[in-house]
Amino acid sequence: MTDTAIIDCNANLGNWPFRRTGYNTPDALLERLARVDIDRAWVTLLDAVMLKNVGAANPWLAEMVAGYEQLMPVGSVNPTWPAWERDLAECVDLGFRGVRVNPNYHGWTLADPIFGELLAAAGEAGMFVEVALHMTDERHHHPLVMVPPVAVDGLLDACAAHPNVAIVLANVKNAPASQLARDADGELPGNLYFELSHFESVGGVQALAGELGVERILFGTHAPYYYPESSVLKVFEECDFSEPELAAITHQNAERLLASLQAGGSQP
Amino acid sequence: MVIDCHVHVQGNRGTPDDRMGYLLDYADRVGIDRLCLSLGTSRDYSPDPETFRRDNDMVWRAVEMYPERYIGFCYLNPGYLQESLEEIDRCIADGPFVGIKLWVAMLCDQPNLDPICERAAELGAPILQHTWLKITGNLQYESTPHNVANLARRHPDVNFILGHSGGNWEMGYRIVQDLPNVCAEVSGGDPELGQTEMGVAMLGAERIVYGSDAPGRSFASQLAKVRGADITDDQRAMILGGNMRRLLGL
Repeated sequence: MTDTAIIDCNANLGNWPFRRTGYNTPDALLERLARVDIDRAWVTLLDAVMLKNVGAANPWLAEMVAGYEQLMPVGSVNPTWPAWERDLAECVDLGFRGVRVNPNYHGWTLADPIFGELLAAAGEAGMFVEVALHMTDERHHHPLVMVPPVAVDGLLDACAAHPNVAIVLANVKNAPASQLARDADGELPGNLYFELSHFESVGGVQALAGELGVERILFGTHAPYYYPESSVLKVFEECDFSEPELAAITHQNAERLLASLQAGGSQP
Repeated sequence: MVIDCHVHVQGNRGTPDDRMGYLLDYADRVGIDRLCLSLGTSRDYSPDPETFRRDNDMVWRAVEMYPERYIGFCYLNPGYLQESLEEIDRCIADGPFVGIKLWVAMLCDQPNLDPICERAAELGAPILQHTWLKITGNLQYESTPHNVANLARRHPDVNFILGHSGGNWEMGYRIVQDLPNVCAEVSGGDPELGQTEMGVAMLGAERIVYGSDAPGRSFASQLAKVRGADITDDQRAMILGGNMRRLLGL
């Protein structure tokens, strides 16, 4: 479909409790992504979201991806869980480069002091922090597990307070992304990245890249919950990006983010 | 031929005429040949006759500007029954429109819909009815697939298109599975892997149609549901355009 190298910064392994997803093992996911010419992916473990002891997901994920150099594991941390710092430390020991949080599923907000504590600890460990704003469409949630999206209130303050920690918003839709751009008055912090799998509207990825800055956009699919073709078609067919813009979105921004990570704080 | 059965005029870029042009630029990039267009810029949940006529005039203008690309679907408010029937005659019987679009003005299994369906049957016009099943709560008069199923049973000679497959497609497909005069269109929801495969398995490929709900939704994210589905190429061709050609007599 394309000659451009693509890093999928938002893919998943494992099981989601409310739907049987296919392509959720390393081999199956890589085969599915290869159909759209994606051969590298950052992966989280879907099971982690609903585990009470979220940290148990991390050695599980490490075991799943062992031997798969194309898959870069992203750990999971719930900073309201006792001794969560040990989970973060275990992610370091396992060789993970970043951790994902699901504040809405774990009962906290980005305005809570605990987010700052997590960012400080991640910075010390040289890890990026990924915030998943949604997992699935709230209108179709299980009636006993209705979880609103994560509000981005407080995020810009947190970015400013921890300028050396790379923060990735995953599963971010148009409205909160545009809200952040407006709130920042054109000066979004350099440590904030936006993953594009949930960008919508005709030409929406290109419009948001203009609002947010191409250098902040990370290519992601949310596969296998989403068809990976969605992000590929949005970026490569529907939009009209230049070759340098495509290179930035599909892999250079992600590579720059990873290269910036170092113990004591990244240098976005 | 790829036909997008669910496209709207509204949006926030330029004038309606501008949007009709730029939508085609994007449609060209992803290979969409024809676009079924409905609703104007009012976004009125319960438009009065003057408003739905004005909205239809916007669609009419787009059809006149790009007759090889846009296909008109006539927007109605069944709460104004006589005016709706007159609008069907103005737009479909005497005009270039070929289908009917119903949104959220009235639950679609109410008695007012029966004369509209009878006229649709006479004209061979399919009815595209917006539907959603929201655990967070529907709008007061927002139809679900249950309402469409009730109406479709009363009017077996009318072809209905289940807008958005009910949103919650895992439920929507089950509700209309046994109604051969109901097709389900895939637009408007997230590009969740498995949607099209389940639709084909439950309804058959001949009852699934591609739509996007552009410009609010990306053409591409919704096309991905079909282009990425684990189905045969023949099934894909039916969903992308063959079925709509059959429904519209193109």
